[in-house]
Amino acid sequence: MTRLNLVLLLAVLASALYLVRTQYESRRLYVELEKAQAESRKLEAENERLQVEKRAQATPLRVEKIAKDKLQMRTATPAITQYVTSREDAVTGANEGAAR
Amino acid sequence: MSKSVRYTSSPLLASKTPVWRSKFIVAGIALAFTGLVGRAAYIQIFDNQFFIDKGKVRFTRTLELPANRGRILDRNGLILASSVPAPSIWAIPEDVEASKPQLAELAKLLGMSLADLNKKLADEDKTFVWIKRQVDDAVAKKIHALGIKGIYQRKEYKRQYPEGETIAHVIGFTNVEDKGQEGIELAFNKELTGRAGSRRVIKDRLGRVVEDIGEQVPPVDGKDLQLSIDSKMQFVAYQKVRDAVIANKALSGSVVMLDAITGEVLAMANYPSYVPDKRENMTGAQLRNRALTDTFEPGSVMKAFTIGLALESGRVTPQTVIQTAPGSINITGTTIRDAHPRGALTVQQVIQVSSNVGTTKIAMEMQAREMWETFSQAGLGQKPQITFPGVVSGRLRPYKTWRPIEQATMSYGYGLSASLFQMARAYTVFGHDGQILAATLLKSDEPAVGVQVFSSNTAAEVRKMLEMAAGPGGTGQKAQTLGYSVGGKTGTAYKQVGKDYGTEKDRKYRGWFVGMAPIDKPRVIVAVMIDEPSAGKRYGGDVAAPVFSELVQQALRMKGVQPDMSVKPQIITQAVEESL
Repeated sequence: MTRLNLVLLLAVLASALYLVRTQYESRRLYVELEKAQAESRKLEAENERLQVEKRAQATPLRVEKIAKDKLQMRTATPAITQYVTSREDAVTGANEGAAR
Repeated sequence: MSKSVRYTSSPLLASKTPVWRSKFIVAGIALAFTGLVGRAAYIQIFDNQFFIDKGKVRFTRTLELPANRGRILDRNGLILASSVPAPSIWAIPEDVEASKPQLAELAKLLGMSLADLNKKLADEDKTFVWIKRQVDDAVAKKIHALGIKGIYQRKEYKRQYPEGETIAHVIGFTNVEDKGQEGIELAFNKELTGRAGSRRVIKDRLGRVVEDIGEQVPPVDGKDLQLSIDSKMQFVAYQKVRDAVIANKALSGSVVMLDAITGEVLAMANYPSYVPDKRENMTGAQLRNRALTDTFEPGSVMKAFTIGLALESGRVTPQTVIQTAPGSINITGTTIRDAHPRGALTVQQVIQVSSNVGTTKIAMEMQAREMWETFSQAGLGQKPQITFPGVVSGRLRPYKTWRPIEQATMSYGYGLSASLFQMARAYTVFGHDGQILAATLLKSDEPAVGVQVFSSNTAAEVRKMLEMAAGPGGTGQKAQTLGYSVGGKTGTAYKQVGKDYGTEKDRKYRGWFVGMAPIDKPRVIVAVMIDEPSAGKRYGGDVAAPVFSELVQQALRMKGVQPDMSVKPQIITQAVEESL
């Protein structure tokens, strides 16, 4: 009888300790999850910020300025544009070859 | 035993203790314990909420889950406005411990003088003071790295407007609390604002979240809003109207461009504008979206509707001859004049040369009610169905109060008023085969269904007249553009100053142009207004038509519309040696 009780006591103790460990582990993992989620939010915000920045670097104003000043480009007009239609691809393609 | 004190020798104790006394004590103690047990049981089992709550307060926290404000995009999905994190820096002055160089560094990072910073930190009684709100994320990180005690950061969001002043009047802006204050930001604040969520968590000693309790309410982000604006066309529109205002030393200028097929607003720009990020020293005048909030007498632009009605009702044909000599007409004692007297004109030519007398003669044969109905259907005196703060309806008096002279002046656009946006929209009647379209600022994928005002035949006839008006011998020749046929009506008006239009010397003018292109199958409708040009030129045909020309050229090219007029090609056919 005493022996059985002793075994049961040990079993209860082991189970209790295991529970403590599991709880601890679960909380530790939860903290990690939290951290990862926070990181993801931060990266999302960063992504948004960078997208806006990218956009700010590519505003029509800036594009035009660089195209005009740095690359010496000018606005296309119908006079210097050759319009092609898909059916006549073959013909205009030949013309374009000649143009070059 | 022998040396012990003999208590019993005390006569007081000699008497025998009665048994009930000890029993009484035992019972008393037992009762006390029962009371304790009872109380414990009560607290633990029956009324446990109070202490459970007390416990929770000590380790659970409710965290707010912030929702992001929706973005505003242009029709191609490019960002026009977006919220980015911008932490605010605050301090508890009495806790601040920093060395001189640290404070100097902090001041430098915040872009403020050391004296200013010290002033903010001087009041030690305060437990909270904003140092600077909404600094850049990068700067905030550097400040965090300084590690000054007593300086804290609060997570906040700031609205960024990459397109800046070119579209400021349409988008508007938000305040420091991320609430819409102007423009689209205000009109659609509800849709753009998300709903913050919340969650309850258990935090450990170090403030880390270790467990969730209960259900969490997820945050609902604000909806993204896609506008009908094309940011490239918007830029061109802003640039051209700015150049025109500067070149003509004008007070202001506005331009509205509509898609003639869908009724979407492709561009709406005003100059002077403002940079949404730098709103100090801003005045109300700068803030207004003049194209929508300012009304003016549309003048000659209205003639197209008067003539359209005359054609529609079969009173005239485009070739009917109207005698406009001697260049003036008397209506109930008031004389209406043409700037340049002409003789007999066909109805087409009346529009082409913009004859007041011709238009008046045609209008006087019509009923006031008919004219009022047509003008109303064209959207005059009606508030445009557009969600935007401060939209005005203009003024169109009920026809029963019209006197004959008023009917005459209204036929050529005086005595009534409209915004530039209303005029652009009114011209969809001619651009969309007689139907007026509901102009919208939001991108729509459905084909537009308009309300029929004129038959498509009448619309085509008026378009032909508008083409003549913008062609040789017309008032708006400068509206012509390379490769595309255009049509439109110029307008020049004296501005009403006080009660009248001023004297010859101090008259103020306003010039505009409303037109469309390509004329056979219009794709865009553009309305341009230049207010108080004062550099010599003052006619709509001289100040506003060139803006129309440049804008239409760019817009149609961006839309990929093939030119409908032959152009002398300047394509270089010989191989040119590339310069290296």
